[in-house]
Amino acid sequence: MIRLQRVTKRFDGGTEALNNVSLRVDVGALAFLTGPSGAGKSTLLRLIARLERPTRGRIMVNGKDLDTLPRREVPQFRRSIGLVFQDHRLLLDRRVHANVALPLEILGYRRTEARKRVRAALDKVGLLQKENAWPQTLSAGEQQRVGIARAIVHRPALLLADEPTGNLDPKLSREIMELFLDFNRVGVTALIASHNLELITEFGRPMLHLENGNLEARHVKPGHSAG
Amino acid sequence: MKDAQERAGCMEAWLHNHAEAARRSLARRLYAPGQSLILIAVLGFILALPAYLWLLLDNARALSADVDHEPRIALYLDATDADGLRSAASRINALPGVAEITPITADEALAEYRASLPEPTLLDWLEENPLPAIIEIVPLVKTPEAVLGLEGQLQALLPEATVISDHEWVRQLQALHAAGMRILLVVAGLLALGITLILAIAAASELRERHEEIAISRITGATDRFLRRPSLYSGLLLGFGGGLFSLLLLWAGFMLTRTPVESAAAIFGLPMAFATPDAGIGLILVTTGLVLGWLGARLGSAAALKD
Repeated sequence: MIRLQRVTKRFDGGTEALNNVSLRVDVGALAFLTGPSGAGKSTLLRLIARLERPTRGRIMVNGKDLDTLPRREVPQFRRSIGLVFQDHRLLLDRRVHANVALPLEILGYRRTEARKRVRAALDKVGLLQKENAWPQTLSAGEQQRVGIARAIVHRPALLLADEPTGNLDPKLSREIMELFLDFNRVGVTALIASHNLELITEFGRPMLHLENGNLEARHVKPGHSAG
Repeated sequence: MKDAQERAGCMEAWLHNHAEAARRSLARRLYAPGQSLILIAVLGFILALPAYLWLLLDNARALSADVDHEPRIALYLDATDADGLRSAASRINALPGVAEITPITADEALAEYRASLPEPTLLDWLEENPLPAIIEIVPLVKTPEAVLGLEGQLQALLPEATVISDHEWVRQLQALHAAGMRILLVVAGLLALGITLILAIAAASELRERHEEIAISRITGATDRFLRRPSLYSGLLLGFGGGLFSLLLLWAGFMLTRTPVESAAAIFGLPMAFATPDAGIGLILVTTGLVLGWLGARLGSAAALKD
């Protein structure tokens, strides 16, 4: 699903976010990306979603070589990915259901079909009763779950989450992580960046440790245990 | 079968997408009606101004066509005796565009002049007749173009003659009309350019206000086409409103001008019924509004989505 070959990312000004990183994540696998802040976790996720381009190296995602992917095919490529952010990035001028419906709107779903899917996604994250609420009225945990519903509503093959539990208390954090494990159980490949080591070690899933832009080359397979 | 179903589904989704974009842009317009109304008003003024001037110019041109006037051409021949005049007259008579000619010798002209003077003996002081022989010509076709054409033929036929048409003022009016139309075209073009840029700036600033939504949509796989669609509908909406408003302004301007212009025409003895703005003008104004609205939105969204 994800394949990085000797990827280096250097930002303007010379900061090196990633240094010669190689990684392989198979379809259906779930891995945690760990490391201190500034280690390059966000950059790695942004490269995989093609929100950034690498300085060197090759990235293949979902069978697509991102280096040669034409600009006009980028939107189509991104539709196969669900992205969850630490700050959830909900649109405050739209109600919960409209926020979740955004990817379906882009995909051109019919309203009845979209409503069905939005309700299913909200049900999955336990927020069906809040579908008509405004995002501001929700708690931090609820907002994050709306963000997750939006990321999975169009059933992407790959889920990328950048510190999805960064602002949440331990109980909520565990609930959120369990949601990702649920999605993985139905076949969604997931890469979750988190520095909450204590929490993620509990799940016994592979952990990729980034430090100063360096990552030990790894091959993550589905059902892989911690190692 | 499945293919056809899929295509129908795609078509429906596409239509739904457009309907949704139109609904969203209408909702946004209604949510902040102040800015929309100002843009519609500006567009209305800018469309109405050249349309109003065009209406005035068109009426002025109609005036020159309406005047029931028998054009005449006078041919002045210096130092021509009666024989020369006769031969010139017969050559002119042979031209196809001539309806009627009246040759007047220099002596006849002088006699006529003498008769018109209160003190004819004054002319006895002259040693010789200073007047030229004249041939008056009534053209067959009375349009200014035909009269001008005949004048050219006459001048070619008799290069030594001086050809003067009393239809000159019609041509002057037509020339002024043509110049006026050209100036109007340039002014209208500049105004259209100006309003297009204003609409582009409005569309761009609206898109920049939505930058968070756009960023999220992009991450989720939205194409530029999808992102600018509501702006294009907004542009069409503003253009339509502006077109209708300009029609209203034009009609009001026409009502305010009609009576004084018609009474002025009556004083000058001109047969003038002021032409009203018709459905054709309405259609042109609304279509122009739609085109400018769309164009402005397209330019503005291209600029906003690029950065």
